[in-house]
Amino acid sequence: MSAIGYLYKRILINRVKIALRKPGTYFVLAFLLFYFIAVPASLKTLVQGTGIDSPQGMAGALTLLAFWLLPANLITYAKRKGLVYRSCDVHFLFPSPVHPKRVLLYAHLRTLFMALLLNLFAIVCGSTLFHVERWRLAVYFVYSIFIENLLEGSIMLLLYGSERMQEKQRRLVVKAAYGLVIILLLMVVYTYLQEGLSVESVSRFLHSDMIQTVPFIGWYIAVIHLLFMGPTAVSVAGSVCYGLLLIAVLTAAWRMKCTGDYYEDAMKFAEDYEEVLASRNQGSGLKQIGKKEKFTKASVRWRGKGAAALFYRQLLEYKKSRHFIFDLNTVTAVLAGAGVAYLYRNEGGFGALEPFRLLVLPTVAAYIIFIFTGFGGKWAKELKSPYTYLLPAPPFCKLMAATLMQHVQSLVNGCLMTAPCAVALSLTPIEILSTVLFYMAVSAVKLYSLTVAQIVAGSSLGTAGRQLIQMLFLSMALFASVLGAILGMAVGGVLLSLGIMNLFLILFTMIYMVIASLNFYNIET
Amino acid sequence: MLEVIHLSKKYGKTLAVDDVGFTVPDEKIGILLGPNGAGKSTVIKSIAGLLRFKGVIRIQSLDSRTIEAKRHFAYVPEIPYMYDALTVREHIEFICRAYGVSPSEEEVKALFDRFELSDKQDKLGNELSKGMMQKVSICCALIIKPKVILLDEPMVGLDPAAIKELKAQILALKESGCTILISTHMLEMVKELWDVTFVMDKGRVLGTYTKDSLAHEDLEELYFTVTKQAKQPAAEGR
Repeated sequence: MSAIGYLYKRILINRVKIALRKPGTYFVLAFLLFYFIAVPASLKTLVQGTGIDSPQGMAGALTLLAFWLLPANLITYAKRKGLVYRSCDVHFLFPSPVHPKRVLLYAHLRTLFMALLLNLFAIVCGSTLFHVERWRLAVYFVYSIFIENLLEGSIMLLLYGSERMQEKQRRLVVKAAYGLVIILLLMVVYTYLQEGLSVESVSRFLHSDMIQTVPFIGWYIAVIHLLFMGPTAVSVAGSVCYGLLLIAVLTAAWRMKCTGDYYEDAMKFAEDYEEVLASRNQGSGLKQIGKKEKFTKASVRWRGKGAAALFYRQLLEYKKSRHFIFDLNTVTAVLAGAGVAYLYRNEGGFGALEPFRLLVLPTVAAYIIFIFTGFGGKWAKELKSPYTYLLPAPPFCKLMAATLMQHVQSLVNGCLMTAPCAVALSLTPIEILSTVLFYMAVSAVKLYSLTVAQIVAGSSLGTAGRQLIQMLFLSMALFASVLGAILGMAVGGVLLSLGIMNLFLILFTMIYMVIASLNFYNIET
Repeated sequence: MLEVIHLSKKYGKTLAVDDVGFTVPDEKIGILLGPNGAGKSTVIKSIAGLLRFKGVIRIQSLDSRTIEAKRHFAYVPEIPYMYDALTVREHIEFICRAYGVSPSEEEVKALFDRFELSDKQDKLGNELSKGMMQKVSICCALIIKPKVILLDEPMVGLDPAAIKELKAQILALKESGCTILISTHMLEMVKELWDVTFVMDKGRVLGTYTKDSLAHEDLEELYFTVTKQAKQPAAEGR
């Protein structure tokens, strides 16, 4: 077995082994399985309602995806940014006598697993939503895994690895990709002006001969149409062009000279990527690959002493940041709030759930906080700094100061999430306050339960043990608050139920805070 | 033999290395010296094939970009990065496959013993301390029995026993005919090792000195003398 094959195989096997030891993996698998079944099931009514539940619909959906994916891939490869290398690849793989073309293929190979998963999802959708015959789906699967990857891999090799291609030519490829997008957009505008906007006009556009004549993207669409809708003169011609393109690109990639000129760009990308990973591990989700975080000038009026310094330093950092305290959580909160409000207005209420309408937004909030919010935040960095432990202040004060900004953030996010719903659902001030408080309390419980788990598990139980204990603490708080909610519902209705949930969550927050403050005694805990 | 001929490297409009040239003969230990920002890292990364550059670099008289040249060449970077999901043993196995070498079990065991890694063979890359990673990185370089080896600050993070072992290994490599280039700030650590030294500053080689030609001057003295000499014209210009 070649070195690349060995590397790929061992990493895959070891990753699976490590993942199976983590309880979190089973949750992720359960969620994936849920989405694999739930998404097609939930889309079924929509697909049937719009009348696209046929192989033609599948071709249309894949055509839409092609508009977005194919130019994007072309552009990232031409910019030498599409492949992810890590610093370990730079250390061991780049200086080794493994051919640079193989090193490129190795990076491409790593994306294969995700492609396999997405294609399986497409097959499930094809079978359940679009009623495509099995043999067509089987042919599509083989085509998408082998032929499509062969073409994409060859294009990637040419754009990333070719040393004859100058920077100017690479920029031309980027411009050409944008050109293809512009051609397609012009076709969209033309169709709109001719036929107006309706499901039928969109469908006619997606299946029109016109788009199958566009080089590369159109030829791919022609293959898809040939596969799912049978042959037409245009789809056969487009598929032949696709085949010829594949042969030409494959031959060029095979024969091109590549001695590893691209290593410099790949190394830079790897450094940027590691930086972003490190930043995300510390709780910041704003850093982007290749883009240096820009800071503005700012100042704070330092007040208090001891642990307060932690709070003011964080405040200064947030003020210097271009996004201030707003991050991906804010975007998610706004989108979720707006989504719930839109649904309520559009559907004229929550239907059978109407009596519990006050609990709908908190349920969505809890789901988002637990599923989509990353660990940490700026405060997590404090635990890694030795200066935190040298500060002359009690550990509880340090914890308060280190996490205060996090609570301010969740207050703002909670308000932004609740605001559109408050208008749409005509919530009373007390209901608004309870909903915001719930958002803050759930965020706080999550924050502190993770730190509590860190203390209880320490380093001896490892990540898996820590995750188990974290889940235990989370479940305890949630279970107690749900019990409280049921009690509240029985006694005084929905508002009381939300109030009791808040009370329980706050109680758990305080208990966890006291335990979590142990983290600030010394760096070891 | 390692030959660097008219090496120049620009990052955008900044000239990081300007027409650098030096040769480390067979069975000799070369030391690359220079203050921070002198261009040492750029030279090292160019030799390791990680950068595009102007000029020629030859390893055993072969263009450094060729697969054949890379087979003879080992590189120990300043900061080691391990594959998170590979064990220490699997790192060695991967390197052996990449370089097409098949060391015996005894050779691997002896190498692990010398660097006190025998009980760490099944540890994953992300479970190692920085010092351990550096040891694995050195073992990966040594296992291929290179003809030319490039060590960038190899002693940083190593414990005294490992430094002693590394020095012994470097001398053994030299004895076996290997060409060695070390980039370091730790002059004390290499004073008994070096044969030829190249002092760099501001992207240029200021001087090449052999140990034989400097009978009474030690490496540290030489370094400060040469880099001070480099600063004199600027000081005089003020």
